[in-house]
Amino acid sequence: MKFEIDSTAPESIVRRDFIKKLALASSAAWMSGVPRLVRGTGFETPAAKADACILLWMGGGMAAPETFDPKRYAPFEKGMAVDSVLSTFPAIDTVVDDIKICAGLESIARIMDRGTLIRSAVQPDLGSILHSRHQYHWHTGYVPPQTVACPHIGAWMARVLGPRNEVMPPFINIGQRLEGVGEKEELKAFTTAGFFGSEHGPMNLPFPEQAAQSVRPPEGMSGKRFVNRNKLFRKLVDRSPHREHASDYQQESLMRSMESAYRLLNSKEREAFDIEKEPKEIRQRYDTSRFGRGCLLARRLVENGARFVEVTTEYVPFLHWDTHAGGHDTVNRMHREIDRPIAQLVLDLEERGLLDRTLIIVASEFSRDAMIEGKPGSEANDQAAFKGDFIEEEKHYGLHRHFTGGTSVALFGGGVKKGFLYGKTADERPLVAVENPVTITDLHATIMTAMGISPKTEFSIEDRPFYVTEDGKGSPVREIFA
Amino acid sequence: MIMKNVGCMAFLKEITSIVLFFLLSGRLLCAAETDSIDFAHQIVPILQRHCAECHGGEEAEGGFSINNRRLFLEGEAAVPGNAYESLFIELIQDPDPEYRMPSEEKPPVPEAEVALLKRWVDEGLPWEPGFTFGEPAYEQPLKPRLPELPPFVKGRSNPVDRFIDAYLTEGGYPDPRPLDDSTFLRRVSMDLVGLLPTVEETRTFLSDKSPDKRQRAIDSLLARDIDYTEHWLTFWNDLLRNDYDGTGFITGGRSQISIWLYGSLKENKPYDSMISELIAPPNDESSGFIDGIKWRGVVSTGQSLPIQFAQSVSQSFLGINLKCASCHDSFIDQWTLADSYNLAAVYSEEPLELTRCDKPTGVMAKAAWLFPEIGQVDPSAPKTERLEQLAALFTHPQNGRVTRTIVNRLWAQFMGRGIVHPLDAMGTEPWNTDLLDWLAYDFKKNGYDIKQTLRLITNSHAYQSQASSLNEGDNADYVYRGPVSKRLTAEQFVDAVWRVGNTAPAAMDAPIARDKVSDGLVEELSVPITWIWGASLDDGLPPHGERVIAYRTFSPAKSLSSATFVAAADLEYEVIFNGELIFSGRGWKDLKAGVITSRIRPQENCLLIGAENAGSRPNAAGIFCAIRLEYEDGSHEVIQTDEQWLTRSIPPDTADLTEYDLDSGDWDRARIANDTGWEKGTNERAGTILAKAYVGRDKPVRAALVKNNSLMRALGRPNRDQIVTSRPNELTTLEAVDLSTSFPLIDYLRSGAGRLLERHEKDPTSLIDDIYLTLMTRFPSKSEQRLLRGAIGRSPDSECVTDVLWALVMTPEFFILR
Repeated sequence: MKFEIDSTAPESIVRRDFIKKLALASSAAWMSGVPRLVRGTGFETPAAKADACILLWMGGGMAAPETFDPKRYAPFEKGMAVDSVLSTFPAIDTVVDDIKICAGLESIARIMDRGTLIRSAVQPDLGSILHSRHQYHWHTGYVPPQTVACPHIGAWMARVLGPRNEVMPPFINIGQRLEGVGEKEELKAFTTAGFFGSEHGPMNLPFPEQAAQSVRPPEGMSGKRFVNRNKLFRKLVDRSPHREHASDYQQESLMRSMESAYRLLNSKEREAFDIEKEPKEIRQRYDTSRFGRGCLLARRLVENGARFVEVTTEYVPFLHWDTHAGGHDTVNRMHREIDRPIAQLVLDLEERGLLDRTLIIVASEFSRDAMIEGKPGSEANDQAAFKGDFIEEEKHYGLHRHFTGGTSVALFGGGVKKGFLYGKTADERPLVAVENPVTITDLHATIMTAMGISPKTEFSIEDRPFYVTEDGKGSPVREIFA
Repeated sequence: MIMKNVGCMAFLKEITSIVLFFLLSGRLLCAAETDSIDFAHQIVPILQRHCAECHGGEEAEGGFSINNRRLFLEGEAAVPGNAYESLFIELIQDPDPEYRMPSEEKPPVPEAEVALLKRWVDEGLPWEPGFTFGEPAYEQPLKPRLPELPPFVKGRSNPVDRFIDAYLTEGGYPDPRPLDDSTFLRRVSMDLVGLLPTVEETRTFLSDKSPDKRQRAIDSLLARDIDYTEHWLTFWNDLLRNDYDGTGFITGGRSQISIWLYGSLKENKPYDSMISELIAPPNDESSGFIDGIKWRGVVSTGQSLPIQFAQSVSQSFLGINLKCASCHDSFIDQWTLADSYNLAAVYSEEPLELTRCDKPTGVMAKAAWLFPEIGQVDPSAPKTERLEQLAALFTHPQNGRVTRTIVNRLWAQFMGRGIVHPLDAMGTEPWNTDLLDWLAYDFKKNGYDIKQTLRLITNSHAYQSQASSLNEGDNADYVYRGPVSKRLTAEQFVDAVWRVGNTAPAAMDAPIARDKVSDGLVEELSVPITWIWGASLDDGLPPHGERVIAYRTFSPAKSLSSATFVAAADLEYEVIFNGELIFSGRGWKDLKAGVITSRIRPQENCLLIGAENAGSRPNAAGIFCAIRLEYEDGSHEVIQTDEQWLTRSIPPDTADLTEYDLDSGDWDRARIANDTGWEKGTNERAGTILAKAYVGRDKPVRAALVKNNSLMRALGRPNRDQIVTSRPNELTTLEAVDLSTSFPLIDYLRSGAGRLLERHEKDPTSLIDDIYLTLMTRFPSKSEQRLLRGAIGRSPDSECVTDVLWALVMTPEFFILR
């Protein structure tokens, strides 16, 4: 509130008014230990350009020179020198004049005019390159280990912005199994709301085709039985001697959660989780893989009010983008998995008038290179299985090392410029970012700014400030906003 | 807002006598920001000189305090970003001395300083997070103190009550209402052993008329050493960040202390011994705590192993948070970067250089601990000696902080909130210093006997009072009004549900034995291991990638008293008993054992094991299992892998072995794999591992003994990467969705419904009584009886009893411990 000073009023009145206002000031009391929002210095809430965010996660290290940043193409030849390999796919034109991407991404090439391509994202090396650590860093903005459990960026959006639609869980995570896969514990460590508490945590839907079951009565329970069960629950609560605590904070919160759960399970939004409800023809356009079906599910969820949805190609050690061997063939397969669904998602959202307010991000924890592990000069342990100088077998043809010096990130919708290229990597090895490098911290600042969240947003946890971008230092790449 | 070096800190402290709060990461402080206002150097001195005398610390003339930014702004004295509209700027430059601030005879703020203040406001009033002009916070004394016991009133002689009664009387607060018998029994069972009372326990207790029945109930609960241990494991695993699985284990960068911890709790090891063995481990069993989590790759210096050590020992045992001071001098308390590094140096093998905000300082740490008043570590001693010296300082009789910290944690476990809150900020003023000090003193006097303190608290009227919940906000001006209600932990909830249906897992993940395993027992249970495989063995080594299943059926010959088994296979394997996945494992060394007594059917039982051969060329593969059936007449038989088992090679992508159709197709007799080269040592190991399961065969596996799973995670069981000292107290919407749709939960409850129906086939009234006694520790009221009789009808079926059980476990009465 603005304090108006009437310069003609006698001092006593000014003072009295001042003091009265002081007395009104409430000393907000909070649960210590529970994170609370702090309005720190330099805090300024940017105007939101997007209301929803879809992160399309290329888990395992998507090689930029094989996807969004084609370099000199060298087809496989027996005995070729490893150092001659920059890209194993030729470049193709896109609808944007100065942007070329790799063959295999023809559908995406046709929609490049809907978004911005950043080619200069960079990551720290972290010594020994571990996917899970780099993914933790990307998803939370902080390098593990940390002394507090860091929230996922989806949890930040859920916590700061809340749900878009009260019925719909704000943070939904599609496609990543957290049980029965390697490094699952490491994945769980960042697939969480951390210190925000699980209210803001992800709803995990590892199998898009089974998502409907997560919001349906348990298998074998009829709708009628489900409704009756809930009625019985309410009646039992009413008859319990504990009804006298009905207004009690903890009890009320428990009942509210049960109520919201029941509401979701009976809502029309529930249908959004069921991709079978989609016309067959549309389903087919997405149906390249679990990832493709996940994109369709994400679209349906965002249409129905989800705030943040992540769809992953799934990180499983040595699978998918984690191309330690057979790189070229694997990437070929990955192209087929992602190309149509990503393009279709952009087009569908556009057709529904939602693209402008939905930020789509295509990203990965780092890029890959045929020669360099980490960055040039890095001391990172070289984890490539094949270390010869010449390629005799086709399975050694591909980008098998983890490269952190220049990575591509594609952004669509959500107020970013259309058909815009930002940043540049070198044309010859090392393929490092040579223009406008974008750190994870600044990339996060950019994403958060688009969502209307100040990069300096901070919460106090354990009496210490914790910021949405590392130490509140992130600054958005403003050039990419329209 | 930047402080560049220690010197500036000293400068700040000197001129302002301020207490600076916090800062997470040094980088924040250390970042260079040259153009903007430097709050600490430019603004603080001005405010200190002209304003703090009347508006800082205790003083808030006119109700206006500048102690922190919030108070500053609440006064609407300033509009961040707009000096022109800011009242205090207006006031300090008012030409009329009568109106001008500072008032009276004080000189006006010089123009240059006014300009700085304006710039400060225009830049948004940047403030050092946590910086305050207030007085230093309460400082906890180091030494123990024995406060005088207040006289007792109302015949309440328990020392806890004497302090609480005095507190309530003095404050004029009402006496919390006493707890009725059934609520008491429920709460004390959950608090001491983590289990709901059984129907029989409840009936006996409720009908018992003797005045000392509560005291006896407490004693008998504390005497149930296994139940006690398996409940308190949750608390200690959280506090010592111990787990069976998790980050760090994958790369061998972390080790468990499970065996040590289990044994310590079971024997009620004195707390000082526990601390000694954790800080100066006599062997590997307890070394995992100080060894922390070693991450592969580069980590920030604030998370190096020595720094983790400093943070862990101080947080867990002293309630001191050194996380701030691991990067730079802390603003929340007196701890400095040097304090953290010196403590870390006690652990470090290498010389340790102080690193401020990831920048080396050139200063070397010197092993030392935080409270030299009672002694110090000798920095020249070797590491093991330094650790022993440190352990001795933690358990020094004059160290009152360690004892206060633990009794406060135990109090919070029972009462829902600490005497000091938050639990890890022991520097905070307690709401009842005498009570805390007395409990800590008493704890030490009793030889650091944890159970004795638990006994003392649970026997108090204070504990045996009705609990209510705290609202957000009740913590600022907390007043004790009785215990605070608590939500069941994930483990308590899951154990309760497992008990209803007898659906606890057959095998535990914790590498512990519930009782002593004697050599004689191992010998008795040892069986020669026979590895079997499918027909591919006829052609030499089994091909890589081959997936084989082997099974056999059996019926117990006589009335069974127990069934235990041990199994392994190479490489990835799954063990399925009567259509239920019992466990999975990896490799011939990964022998696992379990108890399947409650799963054995009187007629045909089927044990099936599936295994997949790995590698890139043919190599040894095998499946082994031995089931030991013990009968009530004392005899036993062992069924183990041999040529009688049936095998078949199956497609590697066969999805779900629990639904595998055994009746169709042809089977081969198993082949014995003779030349695996694995036999050495495994025979005896099989006996040892089976014996570990065997000694716990009478009790179902508890939730705290298995790895975290999705249901428990949904209910707040944490990843133990960090030390966790309090669990969530609410239920979130996503958790409620999970619990409403969760298939395992419904499955567990359906088993429960089946068991209950068996017992009360024809009698709905006694069925409903039993349900209430089982879940709610009380009889149902008439109206509840009526409601449920209506719901389940005259001939109740499993579906509707399952729904009744679900509805009851979801009620606040079940979920919230009062």
